Amino acid sequence: MKLLILFVSLLLFGAESVLAQQISVKVADRTTKEPIVQAHIKDGPNSVITVTDVSGIFSIDLSKYSHLTITAIGYASKNIRLQPDTDLIYLNSEIFRDQTELLVVANEESDQNVRAYHNRKANQGMDDFLDNIDGVSTTKRGAFGWEPAVRGQSDQRMNLVIDGMQIFKACVDKMDPITSYVESNNLSKLQIDKSGSGVAQNGTGVSTVNLITQKAEQSTTSFNLNTSYRVPDQYRTFSFAGNTADRSGKNAVRFSGSYKKADDFKAGDDQTIQNTQYEKLNLSVNYRHMFQSQHSIEASYITDKAYDIGYPALLMDATKALADIGQIKLNFAPSEMAFRFNTAQIYANGIRHSMDDYSRDVANRTVMRGMYMPMYGTTTTYGAKLNGAATLVNHQFDWFIDSYTSDAFGDMLMQSLDPSIQDMLIYNLDEVKTNNASLGFRHHIQFSDNVLMKVEESIRYKSLRTDSESHASFFQGLYGETPGTRSKFLLSGSGSLLWMLNNNWSFSGSLVYSERMGNHMELFGHYIYNYTDGFFYDGNPWLKTERSINTDVNATWETTGHSFSFTLFHKQYFNYIDGVLGIDSGSNDFRFKQYANVGDAVISGSELRAINDLGKMITLENRISYLYAHNQTLGEPLPLIPPLKGNTTLHLRRGNNMIMADLEWAAEQKRIAQISSLEDQTDAYGILNFTYERRWLDGDLTSTLSLNNILDHYYHTHTSIGNIPEAGRNLMISLSYKF
Amino acid sequence: MNIQTMFGRLMAVAVLLFVAASCDTTDNNDPELDLIPVNSVTVDGYTVSLESPKELEIGANYLYWKIKQGDNTITPQTFTITPMMDMATMSHSTPFEQPSADLLDDSYLSNLAVFIMPSGDMGSWTINFEFITQSGSEISGEMPVNVNSSWKIMNTEDDNGKKYFVTWFEPQRPMSGNNDLTFLVHTRETMMSFPAVSNAELVVFPYMDMGGGTGHSTPFTPPVSAGNGFYEGDINYSMSGLWTTTVELVVANDTLPEIVFEYSVIAK
Repeated sequence: MKLLILFVSLLLFGAESVLAQQISVKVADRTTKEPIVQAHIKDGPNSVITVTDVSGIFSIDLSKYSHLTITAIGYASKNIRLQPDTDLIYLNSEIFRDQTELLVVANEESDQNVRAYHNRKANQGMDDFLDNIDGVSTTKRGAFGWEPAVRGQSDQRMNLVIDGMQIFKACVDKMDPITSYVESNNLSKLQIDKSGSGVAQNGTGVSTVNLITQKAEQSTTSFNLNTSYRVPDQYRTFSFAGNTADRSGKNAVRFSGSYKKADDFKAGDDQTIQNTQYEKLNLSVNYRHMFQSQHSIEASYITDKAYDIGYPALLMDATKALADIGQIKLNFAPSEMAFRFNTAQIYANGIRHSMDDYSRDVANRTVMRGMYMPMYGTTTTYGAKLNGAATLVNHQFDWFIDSYTSDAFGDMLMQSLDPSIQDMLIYNLDEVKTNNASLGFRHHIQFSDNVLMKVEESIRYKSLRTDSESHASFFQGLYGETPGTRSKFLLSGSGSLLWMLNNNWSFSGSLVYSERMGNHMELFGHYIYNYTDGFFYDGNPWLKTERSINTDVNATWETTGHSFSFTLFHKQYFNYIDGVLGIDSGSNDFRFKQYANVGDAVISGSELRAINDLGKMITLENRISYLYAHNQTLGEPLPLIPPLKGNTTLHLRRGNNMIMADLEWAAEQKRIAQISSLEDQTDAYGILNFTYERRWLDGDLTSTLSLNNILDHYYHTHTSIGNIPEAGRNLMISLSYKF
Repeated sequence: MNIQTMFGRLMAVAVLLFVAASCDTTDNNDPELDLIPVNSVTVDGYTVSLESPKELEIGANYLYWKIKQGDNTITPQTFTITPMMDMATMSHSTPFEQPSADLLDDSYLSNLAVFIMPSGDMGSWTINFEFITQSGSEISGEMPVNVNSSWKIMNTEDDNGKKYFVTWFEPQRPMSGNNDLTFLVHTRETMMSFPAVSNAELVVFPYMDMGGGTGHSTPFTPPVSAGNGFYEGDINYSMSGLWTTTVELVVANDTLPEIVFEYSVIAK
């Protein structure tokens, strides 16, 4: 009998052990090899199965959870397929949270964490979201395609990339920032490197915004539906997102789509702003295959089509803004080799942008009167990125190789209403090629448990040319020399120091040196219209390298319920590239500038962020940012610099209800550019917003009611081109359902 | 071979391919004449052919002459021409140079001729030619040619009625971007003599009328005399479309009535 019981017991326990396959795995820091405590082990975006213990170890049933996502504060999250012999998983640290901000925008992190940077509202667009981050502003020309600026620097002075992919806007009038070609449901997070200290990866040392797209998860099937409706601009949107994987978890697909359309909006005091309508369709798909070896490959494609986009600040509207963005990425399994790869990525993207003024009254306008001016622009970019880590003489470092080639074209046709006048055509960019290759290194130096240093350097080769003889001859005529291929070796470097004084206080600082060659428009643009000053710009292939030195210091105090962060920065530019008065065309309608190195400029500022839990249900957020920017050669402020501005947000949560009251304000801006631009002063404003959100059906259904600009204030921001006002009082209702 | 090693080797191959593909393979061919036949006549067994880069038109034209005896191209001791416009009641010549061995292809004799009026109801053009062969034979003949209208020559005159011909020499096909801007100036002394004028001053102003009362100029370098009637500068057309270029001829401090060239600039 005893033998029988023993046999049955062995059989049962053995069967259980076979079925359960319980394994223990250690999670550790790749650099220090130290265990990571309290890392979250998830089988989906929201479902935490377990956490690591003080030794960094977690135990799990392999038969139930073979595919996991591991997240930990200060580390990049990792998707992994567990094997019976898996016993160690390394996470890569997200170095310096104060320098490289990690912003969760996918609205799937339901944990209320004071360290989370921003509590994003459901259905908030990319433009709104960016405009409310301290240190980030947006340049506006209407309701669509706001151009993000980090610390007053935009366009050519910042990197705006998607998954690290270089994408060039196609509109020569800069109406299509790359953010306009993605939707928030394409994205999992934004990485904002305000100081540009991540030079090894960004290759330039300038402020960087990296839009990280959503990837397929090796988890169960999920689906998400959202719809919103807003008055009075009749904004309506419908979006969906889904994720599915096969039983083995080796193959997973994520897909999403959205459609939105808006009519003209109303500013405060019931004033309809004409030509602010838009319509947009966005589709994306991501496929991921996990190999037995833990390597994985993923392929992504985003197509974004916007139509009938009104630009009230401009003479014309966009009829089409089309983007096709694709990439294939190989993620290597962790390796202990001395020289190892982390990821390899190839990508291609094409942007096409068409504008015209066929629906405008061209006969009676004051500028470019009596003619239509359809414009077309396109860019095509191919690139490859490779990164990994290496150990050399007991020194470990990360390495990054980045290369791309891009082709840009832009033209403007002018069709006079007078039939006796021939059509006129300008090539703004013709066969303009940009080639770039960079090699960067990142070193971590741990002085002690509390003091960490990061040193990064990058060398970059960049060349620009036009293959069009007639286009090249413009510059030969202007400067008396054939431009040929313009190429430079560019160096960037940074040093950052983090001192964790104790569990509450941390201090950090960085010093960044950056060299920038002008971009394709600054070197080879022709008749590029600048809406901020009304001048046509011609490029200058002989621009010298613009150099900058950026210093940042930050102090952060954090407790369980409170977070306070204060940053000061100062950036000094040398050989600052800007427009100088060009030839006199003999016409007041055509005023020209040419790009040149105009001297020195400086941008300084500060950012303050405070997040405080006032009891269990109430959180108060305050964000304030200030910029001082000056063209030292001209002795005047730089243009399009936002004034002192901020947000105060009060969150109230109880059960399934959330109420948010928000005060968005800006001081008046009297520091204006009148030589390099034609700015005017902007009044102070303050607007009130209110949001009520409720979750139903165990959180599967969420309804949101948002009332913005409650007092129907008529105002415009200083960075609104043409002083186009912001939306007046508006009400939006949103529903979100997931299953 | 594990996947990392394999990938490393693949990357090395890719870099080599990229470098190889990036090599400059520009082909710099020698320039060649690209001519179309204009006319040919046969006199005493010698065939005289006239070719030109384009159909003849008023303004400046390069003429390329070839003389053949049977299938053999011959090089004469001398070859002279005289373009003549027969207007029934009168005849006249036009500014021209005498042919000489062409620098690019010595099987041709080439010269510059400026036709000051087109063929048509008013009259017709004939080019009289004479040459002496290596054996001493003197051959002469005449070759009718058709000269089309164009915008490339205008004339003005001083208070004494002395006529000046201003020829738009370059660009022959104005194109967006930078172009050499060259004028030729001749005056008429007699109906058979049109000498070059090299001591004048040209005041030019390019302009584009965009309609609706707006318009603009474009960057240019004013042409200055380069001798032999040529005035050289450059012009950087900002855009394609219909342009005018006004020319005021200043001769001996006397500003002659302005003339206006109106023409289309192509995009590329």
